[in-house]
Amino acid sequence: MHRPRSRCTVEPVAELTTDRRWKTFADVVAFALGTNVWISIVILPAVFVGALHGGPRIAAAALPFIVLLLGLARRSEAVLLGLFPAAVLVPVALQPQMASSYVYGPIRFALVALGVIAYLFGVSYFTTWHEPPAPRSIRGLSSAQLGPAERWQRRERVYWMLTAMSLVIPTVLIAWVNFDSGVEDFLGEMYPGRVALMTTALTAGAIVLWLVIFHYAFLGVLRPHRTGDRDLVAVLGHARSDAKTGKPRPRFYASVAVALAAMATLILLRHLKG
Amino acid sequence: MRRYFFEVLAVALIGGSLFFFKETLDYLARRDYVASVLVMVIGVAVISVGKEMARLALVQRD
Repeated sequence: MHRPRSRCTVEPVAELTTDRRWKTFADVVAFALGTNVWISIVILPAVFVGALHGGPRIAAAALPFIVLLLGLARRSEAVLLGLFPAAVLVPVALQPQMASSYVYGPIRFALVALGVIAYLFGVSYFTTWHEPPAPRSIRGLSSAQLGPAERWQRRERVYWMLTAMSLVIPTVLIAWVNFDSGVEDFLGEMYPGRVALMTTALTAGAIVLWLVIFHYAFLGVLRPHRTGDRDLVAVLGHARSDAKTGKPRPRFYASVAVALAAMATLILLRHLKG
Repeated sequence: MRRYFFEVLAVALIGGSLFFFKETLDYLARRDYVASVLVMVIGVAVISVGKEMARLALVQRD
C-alpha cells in the first residue's frame, strides 16, 4: 500500500533530531574548550600568584566562566567569541602578575595558545555547522568531473593563507612582547618595579593592534566575497561605478595634502629648532 | 601601458612608505615623539596614495 504521507512526516523529525544532536555536540565542545581556556588563563595563574583572596578578586576570576555559561545558554556567537575572550582579560587586568613571563614559560605559553586557538576554532566551526539531510538521489554532473576551477583553488589558497596568518601574527606578537629579553630589559630600565604591569599593558596593546589589523586587512579582503549581504552589495555596486570613472577619489587628494602638510610641519619644526 | 605605470607607481609608493615607518622608529628611539608622529602620518598618507594607484591600475585592467 502506497503511503506518501508517512515519508513526509518522518524526514523532518529525523532532520530535527540530527540538528539537536549537533547543537548539543557544539555546546559540549564549547563548554570543554572554554573551561580549559578559563582554567589555564585565569585560575591556574591566579593560584600561582596567590590572587584568589577576597570577594572582588574571586568574583573577577569567576566572571569569564559566568560569561561562558551565558553564551552557551543563549548559543550566542557574539558572547562566546567576543565577550568571553574579553572577560578572560578582566581578572588579568586587575592582577597583571597573572600574565607575567614568570607565570608563562615558553612551553606553557604554547600550550595555552593552542588551547585558545582550539576554543576559537571549535566554537566558530561547530556552532555554525549544520549537517545537511541525506539526499534522495544523486546525479553526477559532467562539470564536476573536472574538479574545482583554478580561481576557486586560488581563492581557497588565499583563505588558508589568511587562516594561517591569523594564528601566526597574534601568537608571534604576544610571544615577542612576553619573552624577548630586549623588551624585558627595556621595560626594567624604563619602568623599574612595574615590569609585570607594563608587560601586560604591552600584551593588551599587541591584542588591540592585531584586532585592528584583522579588521582592516583580513576582513577587508574577505568582505567583497560576502555576496549575500544586501547592504554590502549596494556599497560594492557604488564602489564599482565609482571605479569606472578612472579618476582618483577625493581621499587621494586628501592623502597628498596631509602628507605635504606633515612634511611642511616637520621642516618648520627643524627650522625652529635649528 | 598606463596600467603598468599605475602598477609600478603603486608598488613604489606602498614599498616606499616603509622608509617613513623606519624613520618613525628612528625618531622614537631618539625620543622625538612629535617628529615620529608626523613621519608616521606621512607614511600612512603615502600608503593611501599607493592604494589609490593600485585601484586605478585595476580599473585600467578592466
